[in-house]
Amino acid sequence: MGETMSSETADSGVARASNTFLNDVWTNFMRWNINAIRNPFVVVSSLLQPIIFLFLFTQVFGNVATGALSANQTLAGSLSYETYLVPAIAVQIALIVASSSGIGLVDDIESGVFQKTLVTPMSRTAVFLGKTLSELIRIVIQVVIVLGLGVLLGAEIKSGVGGALAIVGVAVLFSLWFLAFSNIVALLTRDQESTIIAANMIQLPLLFVSSAFLPVNSMPEWIQVVATYNPITYGVDAARAIMVDADVMEVWNVTAFGGIWNTLVPALGVLVVLDLVFGVLAVYTITRATSADVQ
Amino acid sequence: MTESDATGRAIETDDLRVTYSDGTEAVRGVSLSVPRGEFFGFLGPNGAGKTTTIKTLATLLRPTSGSVRVNGFDVESEPGKVRESIGYMAQETSVITEMTARENLRFACDAYGVPRGERSDRIAELLDLVDLADVADKRAEGFSGGMQKRLDAAMALVHRPPLVFLDEPTTGLDPKARNRLWEYFEAINDDGTTIFLTTQYLEEADYLCDRLSVILGGEIVAEGSPADLKREVGGEVLDVALEDGSSARERAADIVREDGLFPGDPTVEITDGGISVTSRDARQHGPDLLVALRDAGITVTGFNVRSPTLDDVFLAITGEHIDEELPDEAVADGTTTEGDRGTPATDGGNDEQ
Repeated sequence: MGETMSSETADSGVARASNTFLNDVWTNFMRWNINAIRNPFVVVSSLLQPIIFLFLFTQVFGNVATGALSANQTLAGSLSYETYLVPAIAVQIALIVASSSGIGLVDDIESGVFQKTLVTPMSRTAVFLGKTLSELIRIVIQVVIVLGLGVLLGAEIKSGVGGALAIVGVAVLFSLWFLAFSNIVALLTRDQESTIIAANMIQLPLLFVSSAFLPVNSMPEWIQVVATYNPITYGVDAARAIMVDADVMEVWNVTAFGGIWNTLVPALGVLVVLDLVFGVLAVYTITRATSADVQ
Repeated sequence: MTESDATGRAIETDDLRVTYSDGTEAVRGVSLSVPRGEFFGFLGPNGAGKTTTIKTLATLLRPTSGSVRVNGFDVESEPGKVRESIGYMAQETSVITEMTARENLRFACDAYGVPRGERSDRIAELLDLVDLADVADKRAEGFSGGMQKRLDAAMALVHRPPLVFLDEPTTGLDPKARNRLWEYFEAINDDGTTIFLTTQYLEEADYLCDRLSVILGGEIVAEGSPADLKREVGGEVLDVALEDGSSARERAADIVREDGLFPGDPTVEITDGGISVTSRDARQHGPDLLVALRDAGITVTGFNVRSPTLDDVFLAITGEHIDEELPDEAVADGTTTEGDRGTPATDGGNDEQ
């Protein structure tokens, strides 16, 4: 009954000398970074799909799309399809990485690591924040890679290096609501397959009925309506406005702010609201899940 | 031992009730008092409310009513303090498989805020304790079930918690791995750590625990040391092995019941290979039974008088058997036992999910 007992008075508890909120964030951030590095297949495949899209779409639709672009009033002028598409691919990356967030959480729930984390004194907010930051870093790195590849393929970032950074920022801002959504689905279903299916089911069709791949005005009326209510449109439009340094938004005709801001202000506004709404829902779901289903 | 804590108790619950949102009353008025340093066993079949209780003690579930104090802290108003002062090993092995054993322990050190200067020594010490030092830098995904369990146990100990919860820690392990874990648990208990262990293995409770509570249907049905509980059965057990089939066993049981060989009210039970008779005078009157059986033309192939096991205790208390199945048998098919064991207690909870 020696030294272990000496530290066990109720008041002192166990020494937890060096922990702070930031420590807890860092601990979880590093844990998920290690996780990503040790699962190269996941990282590579989540990068591969957008890159394949980038190559296929520019090769297959390049000619047709360029025609559609030049016929479009909003985007009048010479705009290569590569330049048009790269911002959409950046947003697609944000979608794919964010959708894997819930999968990681379900993994943790299924393996019991989630519960193990909850029983430690770590801040629960910090646990999720650390994990989210790790995913955002992945988005940043992957978007940078795609922007580089796009430039190699002939895309032009008209707003320069600053613009490239801003596109990364848009991708991050865009990813947050979907990241929250993915975690909500994960916590509600607690099932990996459902989480994957929910993310994929939403992600791919939504990409097609948005401004991602073709100008909205060139699509049927009903798709234009869907695109207006599709969050992806706003992520893509914000990134694209920065890419081409012009007002590209078709779904809303805003003229109050002048130039590129006619796109950025409404698009970023929509994203911020979406982030807040889904963020609050996610916090609510997490709080419920971590306090368990007892009366 | 430090007794500055007003209660001097590691665990104190009063009329703890936990009702799930679907209305299932998993725990129905459990009062426990576990002194510091004790190796306490919480014994019961699947679905009896063990896991719900342990999760409530470990702040993973909130009590529906009743009070719970762990290491002197209230689980509802001071969950952070409770978490800092306990180690918890869940029923399902939970290690981060992408990480090495050392990284898992480092993560646990970070999570529990073990002072940086102490981490390396603490990790080395725990790797030694659970015999994983030679695979410390290998990823846990390649570990056997037993190795992962040991790592899991070590992760619960990084902060030298004065109280450790072990929820069916040896389920699914082979006997060798189980025995090794038992040694670690005994070692940390010898160092003064209070241990709260749930188990459905009677042998485990008997071997490890100073004191036991038996839970069934969310209520405690018996308490005491393993020896106390055995005494409750009242008497000794005479096991008689018979050569013939089930009809011989039935006839033998009838002879015990009807011939008045044993004074008082002996209980007789038909077992796989014969019958078991529990009576205060089993030793004295056993030979009479053997003669009676021979006269009835029933061949006796063996007999043994023994003191009761916890299984007998369970039978005496609840009228139900717990199969005294060891982990090595359970591992073959962990689910098949659920139905027959769980049935009498399913009204008690869905906590094992």
